[in-house]
Amino acid sequence: MKASNNNNGFKTPEDYFENLTGKLLSKITEEQSVLPKGDGFIAPEGYFDGLQENILRKLDLEKEETKVIQLNPYRKYYFAAAAVAAAFILFFGLNFETESSPTFEELAASDIESYFENNDMELSSYELAEVMSFDELDISDILDNQLNDDHIIDYLDDNIDYLEELNLETDE
Amino acid sequence: MVAEEDLVAQLKQADTQSKAFEVLINTYKERLYWHIRRIVLNHDDADDVLQNTFIKVFKNIDGFKGDSQLYSWMYRIATNESLSFMKTKARKLGVNNEELHNRMAQNLQADVYFEGSEIQLKLQQAIATLPEKQKLVFNMKYFDEMKYEEISKVLDTSVGGLKASYHIAVKKLENFLKED
Repeated sequence: MKASNNNNGFKTPEDYFENLTGKLLSKITEEQSVLPKGDGFIAPEGYFDGLQENILRKLDLEKEETKVIQLNPYRKYYFAAAAVAAAFILFFGLNFETESSPTFEELAASDIESYFENNDMELSSYELAEVMSFDELDISDILDNQLNDDHIIDYLDDNIDYLEELNLETDE
Repeated sequence: MVAEEDLVAQLKQADTQSKAFEVLINTYKERLYWHIRRIVLNHDDADDVLQNTFIKVFKNIDGFKGDSQLYSWMYRIATNESLSFMKTKARKLGVNNEELHNRMAQNLQADVYFEGSEIQLKLQQAIATLPEKQKLVFNMKYFDEMKYEEISKVLDTSVGGLKASYHIAVKKLENFLKED
């Protein structure tokens, strides 16, 4: 096919053909999805320039907090005071009933919940099975709770290595 | 640029540690910031989480065995820090995670560090409705332009699973944006 434009009098804007491919590709991408490019977030001006200093300062502060503080020369008096205090505590402590440690029943459910949330522990289904009694489970617990799609996908994400291996076709 | 193995070795040695840590911050600060920012949405929170992430990296570098790439390991720490930050914030406000994300996305319009168009604002509000994993996968794939293999190392999930999560997320977001 003839690509030249000899003697027919037509003209194109400058760089028209050079920019055409890029224009077409970006138009195709835009039309493929309604999702906008870019997230709209910005950072304050100069934020990244001062960041390194801020992190190093924070790190130094943390190091200082864990530094061992030398005992001062008056420590012998502290020992004497501590000895007297200990004698008092021992004397009275033996005569009064000590406070009992909290029982499981006394713990608020929220305390237990926050303990589990704040401590990085993941119980496997076997460990859960050990602590959960089957007597407390009702068959309706399972039947009444419909699994939603997101939970199923999450489960498959975590437990199936190759999603393609699953036979997803139903019409045979 | 210093090779990753050399940087890790320098970070583990007392005499080269400080200099190497500066290099580490300067190499990864922006990438990690945007990753964190898209999870916590607010700049001040992102700044807090980013600083804590770097401090955690510094303190735990001896435990880094080199099984994964340094940046995947750091991304993983940043992700965990961001998610636990949001959990704590939600607990303090007495709401659940989803509710907190929705509220924060609704308030983005008033945020001085958000300059998104109407459609970008709507996209953030749509992302807030996604389950946690889909949200992470979408942000890492769409905005960070990470490969599935890289995301898989950070989130410890199979590539097949990630692809499924991403496609479901995109469909949901497109439907959300087409609604009005």
